[in-house]
Amino acid sequence: MASKPSSGSKKTTLATAKKILASGITEAEAIDRAKGGDGEAFEMLYGLHKRRVYSLCLRMVGNTAEAEDLTQEGFLQLYRKIATFRGESAFSTWLHRLAVNVVLMHLRKKGLPEVSLQETLEPQEEDGPKKDIGARDNVLAGSIDRVNLERAIESLPPGYRIIFVLHDIEGYEHNEIAEMMGCSIGNSKSQLHKARMKLRDLLNTSRTEKARR
Amino acid sequence: MQANAGAAPGRENKMTCAEFQQELPYIIDTGGSAEQEAHLRDCKVCADLVQDLRYIAEQAKLLVPMHDPSPRVWDGIQESLEREGLVKPRQARRSFLGLNS
Repeated sequence: MASKPSSGSKKTTLATAKKILASGITEAEAIDRAKGGDGEAFEMLYGLHKRRVYSLCLRMVGNTAEAEDLTQEGFLQLYRKIATFRGESAFSTWLHRLAVNVVLMHLRKKGLPEVSLQETLEPQEEDGPKKDIGARDNVLAGSIDRVNLERAIESLPPGYRIIFVLHDIEGYEHNEIAEMMGCSIGNSKSQLHKARMKLRDLLNTSRTEKARR
Repeated sequence: MQANAGAAPGRENKMTCAEFQQELPYIIDTGGSAEQEAHLRDCKVCADLVQDLRYIAEQAKLLVPMHDPSPRVWDGIQESLEREGLVKPRQARRSFLGLNS
């Protein structure tokens, strides 16, 4: 199922990489220069990491305008704090964590419930085993394409989507998510499960509709 | 709904599907007890469910970032950096990389 990046985006990435190589500057050197206020170094770091940061923001908030604002804010915070980067972790990891925190702060300000404790403590009817769960004949394996999966993720309720993006796409562990979001590890696991169950339903619905055409 | 909808006939399962699925969020990524694993082996319904959920998680890991932000994002960053005095003003330097326009 894995689809490779489109040829257009691959060309852009290669072009950027070539320019960086042509300039003879490594990322580590760019970081050092950025600490000294070198504008070109800032630009290079932005070019290297903008796509991943923007994609993270977009997947978490589901809105391009908000995602762009958050990307901008994330990089600005990076540049303000870059002098404190000591290289104990990879730069991309440091930046990524910073971007996640920017998004979560934004969501808290909006008053969105990132994780619903109440929902976890009082399981709803929909959380129980589905009565029709035995009716389905086929499993999903081999039937999901990237476009449908991205669409389904966009359709998730915000709380589910955030946990799913952080864990299954971005690779954060539950203990890290719990710390970032101020919830328990159990809550994180429960919300992730609900997100995956919801995606399963959405993807099966999509597959059924496609088969009918 | 039968307690063990997908159980193989003639096999006695101590764990019901409801019990298994209630614990599933906490064991799906790490593995369960012997009893839970036994239920998974014997129950096609729960096995199919777990397979689907794991497949979704695996496919999600393969999603690569595909889109760049619009050029206005870098423009906004540049303006802020200059305003805050973190970089020299644009007139005083050339952007030789031209990466983000």
